[in-house]
Amino acid sequence: MKKTNRFDEDQPFLLRKFREPVLDPSTGMTNEEIRQALAARVSDWDDLPRPVGKARVFEFICDNMAIAIGPHDLFPTFACHNRHRRPFDVVKNHWDGILNQRLKHWNDILEGNRVGRFMLWKDFDHSVPDWDDTLRLGFAGILRRAMEAKAQHAANGTLDDDARAYFDGIEITYRCIHRTLTRFADLARAEAAAEDDPRRLRVAASIEAVRDREPRSIYEALQFIYLYFMFSEHIDFMQVRSLGNMDRQLIGLYEDDLRTGRDTEEGVRECFDYFFMQWISINNYWGQPAYLGGTKADGSTEINALSYLILDELGKLRAMTPKFQLKINHNTPRAFLRRALAMVRDHNASLVFICEPGLWRILMAHGASAEEARTCDIRGCYEAGILGKSNGTGSAHINLLKAIEFALNNGTDPVSGTKAGLETGEAESLATFDDFYAAVCRQIGKTVADGITYTNEYEPCLEQVNPANVFSPTIRNSLRTARDGFARGCVYNSTGILFIGAATAVDALLAVRKYVYELGVVSLAELRDILNRNWEGAEKLRTRILNDPLKYGNGIPEVDAFAADFCHTFASFVNGVPNARGGCYRASIHTARQFIELGKRTGATPDGRAFGDEMSKNASPTMGMDRQGVTALIRSMTTLNPLDFPGDFPLDVMLLPATVRGEEGLEAMEALVKTYMERSGWAIHFNIFSPEELIEAQKHPEKYEGLQVRVCGWNTRFNDMDKREQDAYIARALNIAD
Amino acid sequence: MNASTPIHGIVFDILKFAIHDGPGIRTTVFLKGCPLNCLWCHNPESKDARVEISYLATKCVGCGACVAACTRGCHRLTDGMHIYDRTACVRCGGCAENCYARAIEQVGRPREVGEVLAEVLRDRPFYETSGGGMTISGGEPMAQFEFTRELLARARAEGLHTALDTCGFAPQARYAELLPLVDLFLYDIKTTNPDRHRELTGRPLDLIHSNLRFLSGAGARIFLRCPLVPGVNDSDAELAGIAVLASELEGVEEVNVEPYHPLGVSKTERMGYAEGYSAPIPPPEYAQKMTARIAALTAKTVRRS
Ligand code: SF4
Ligand code: SF4
Repeated sequence: MKKTNRFDEDQPFLLRKFREPVLDPSTGMTNEEIRQALAARVSDWDDLPRPVGKARVFEFICDNMAIAIGPHDLFPTFACHNRHRRPFDVVKNHWDGILNQRLKHWNDILEGNRVGRFMLWKDFDHSVPDWDDTLRLGFAGILRRAMEAKAQHAANGTLDDDARAYFDGIEITYRCIHRTLTRFADLARAEAAAEDDPRRLRVAASIEAVRDREPRSIYEALQFIYLYFMFSEHIDFMQVRSLGNMDRQLIGLYEDDLRTGRDTEEGVRECFDYFFMQWISINNYWGQPAYLGGTKADGSTEINALSYLILDELGKLRAMTPKFQLKINHNTPRAFLRRALAMVRDHNASLVFICEPGLWRILMAHGASAEEARTCDIRGCYEAGILGKSNGTGSAHINLLKAIEFALNNGTDPVSGTKAGLETGEAESLATFDDFYAAVCRQIGKTVADGITYTNEYEPCLEQVNPANVFSPTIRNSLRTARDGFARGCVYNSTGILFIGAATAVDALLAVRKYVYELGVVSLAELRDILNRNWEGAEKLRTRILNDPLKYGNGIPEVDAFAADFCHTFASFVNGVPNARGGCYRASIHTARQFIELGKRTGATPDGRAFGDEMSKNASPTMGMDRQGVTALIRSMTTLNPLDFPGDFPLDVMLLPATVRGEEGLEAMEALVKTYMERSGWAIHFNIFSPEELIEAQKHPEKYEGLQVRVCGWNTRFNDMDKREQDAYIARALNIAD
Repeated sequence: MNASTPIHGIVFDILKFAIHDGPGIRTTVFLKGCPLNCLWCHNPESKDARVEISYLATKCVGCGACVAACTRGCHRLTDGMHIYDRTACVRCGGCAENCYARAIEQVGRPREVGEVLAEVLRDRPFYETSGGGMTISGGEPMAQFEFTRELLARARAEGLHTALDTCGFAPQARYAELLPLVDLFLYDIKTTNPDRHRELTGRPLDLIHSNLRFLSGAGARIFLRCPLVPGVNDSDAELAGIAVLASELEGVEEVNVEPYHPLGVSKTERMGYAEGYSAPIPPPEYAQKMTARIAALTAKTVRRS
């Protein structure tokens, strides 16, 4: 088999694969044609039990989609290439509409989103199959196991109509997957024969293998993971929010490959290159997660030869995606940590460091066993889930600053003019800081309570919109209970409530305390009016507040203690509250992009922020307000109680390249990570830029094609951001350079 | 230790996460006042031992608070234009304290040893994971000897690793006194040519050399810090001189090359100084080249700092 330089030749084709897929029309319809066909008959499946109806739609898509193999790839091409326009979308939106009409609170949700009290939506984005099980089963094995479970239910007398529909949905779906895989394999064999291409024979064999049995080589395993991903995410509309603990799960196959001579190290590297190219081409904005590392039962590290190999290949491709979380602990080899840190510093990969000690403590405090904590999955950006037993949704993003606006305006939203909050009293009547603080807390409590009420209404119906036919049978508990794996079939079915703008809210509250109630520079009513005018005529006051060092993120014990208290207060509105899926709510201080989106809908705030500006990201300080450097930042951050945020709790660190140059720089980054880990941190990641570099990149994007910056739990190209977002990064870099 | 009378020093900055001032993550305490007057000094606000006042016009919002605060009439507001006339200024800092726009800032303030130490100790967890500690720099720490000695002693008592960044221009007896309190000397060598030294720094070289030899002989750990300015102190002979010192002196463990970095124009303006020396930033290869040239002449480690 010719291998040399083949990848380099294929790379441009691979990059285009999910952007302009090359398909043979004789094999079926394009993505858009399928969408049109579905739109034309969108109600056809309404009368079937939902899982069966969805499985029929799944069949319709798979049986009709065009496919391709082609000379440039190790993985097959699906017509369903566009993740923004997935065909099932059409039917899902239709079913969603049916559900929404029945929801008592649907208009409240729309209104709350419009006003920006919260952002609330049905989340189908965070499932992770039990990769350990599925890699042992292959597609045929998954179906076999599901049918055994069905027989067991029949024997136990628990195979009621719902259970029957659940298993029928799975059976139809997996039989369809089997057919589709055969279609791929046959096409590969036909092409191989016609063009005398042994590589396509190998492609065919790998597809047949994972169709019929468990993967037995690295290539087969990657083929299986890719195919599962495509069937689940692109066709079944169920995101696969991790490709798994790849080094741990695949090391056995890698060693076998080398021992038996089935493959070489070079060959395996090449497989990973092709594999990673799939996601580079898909180019999901949030990145495709996967993770490495961890700790074995005997306390030793899971880092192995494959961990290094994967880092190498990611670095070689300068891949922003897949994005990898690295589970680190005291046992993590220094060489590995160093290499990963160097890659981050040199902008060669999208990596986040997950600190096991803090994470374990949090998971155990919220009900996990030590074993479950140790083996937990990392999913999405930094979230943790009990492997094979959990599914978390993220439903409501709570705008903490809007609650402050409500408290200042007696429940009226000054931006839209609607009475969207509680009447907690006119500003004139809030005589002490405690009065004001209590009003803010009540407003937050009300938003959270509403968010929970609305979520409770729709979450029991998730499977009415999008039953998880591909995902469910990967979860043992789902099969055992015959309940939808995504909606409520896991052992742990948690719902996340994410708080947005925590640090800015702390700064705002402290500003009110100082300038209104301590110094008496303005009255609360005057401040309210100033803010509603977006600081017009009060620029000096604004400057004064902005320059006041009393801000979260500077390691000031008094401020940090206040922040910890405040965070505990709102987190306790959430943690442990039962949800409607047999689990409970979990607070998180993870903002994704909502710190920007909600910022746009939020008026000026007492910390000096202007109308529309972004608020603080994750648990980070307000942009530009951390003036004491990274060690102070970590001290502030680790003063918050991590147990308050079982959802997650990430730390963003921005550093200047000059500060972390050379070996000492790497050592210092390592020490930061370790100190953070020792102080029970959860997730830490870095942005390393000079303001000059970013300004140059803004002016001459063509010279900085490859420049990646870290947004939340993912990287993005600096060039792909809009001017306003770019400016925010430049301002942050200028702040630390100051 | 625990001196009964509090000792104050004029501290001009306490920099956290300093990672090029000795091993690990460190906190560097910068003291004001320096006996040398190096041509290229990029920290001119550290030369004068006294408190100074910096003023940046672009930050001024014209609020007039400084006018009210200053009893000596140094600040005027005419037609919204703010004028700061330094002639009568006694550097009391009163205006800076009232300027919330941070256009006026006080550079350097008297701080008590215990207070500085407390600030330094806040980052102890980072020293522990990185093998770091505290560095005293300046200015010239020896110019505030009492304060430096006390801070070192108390940091030591707390178990911190200590480093002292010094230009070497102080009585030998004082170095002898500090020897047991300092884990690492960051010893500046500007040039090994005595005439050049006097020209570039305004001070003779011999005391600096004899102190260096003394420290090395007394068992100190030393890193030579060599600021190199293109065309000014980087001749073959001067580089060779550095290499010879490093090779000859047992205490010298490393040579750290510090390529010239021009002083920001705004800094001069802010401090009300006359224009200082300015040359273009040397290209990135400069540091590597210099490092390689010195390294070729000595067996000791030579690195960019
Ligand atoms: S106090 Fe500051 S901002 Fe106000 S006039 Fe004086 S220099 Fe300008
Ligand atoms: S430092 Fe003192 S004397 Fe000088 S301008 Fe300010 S207030 Fe006036």
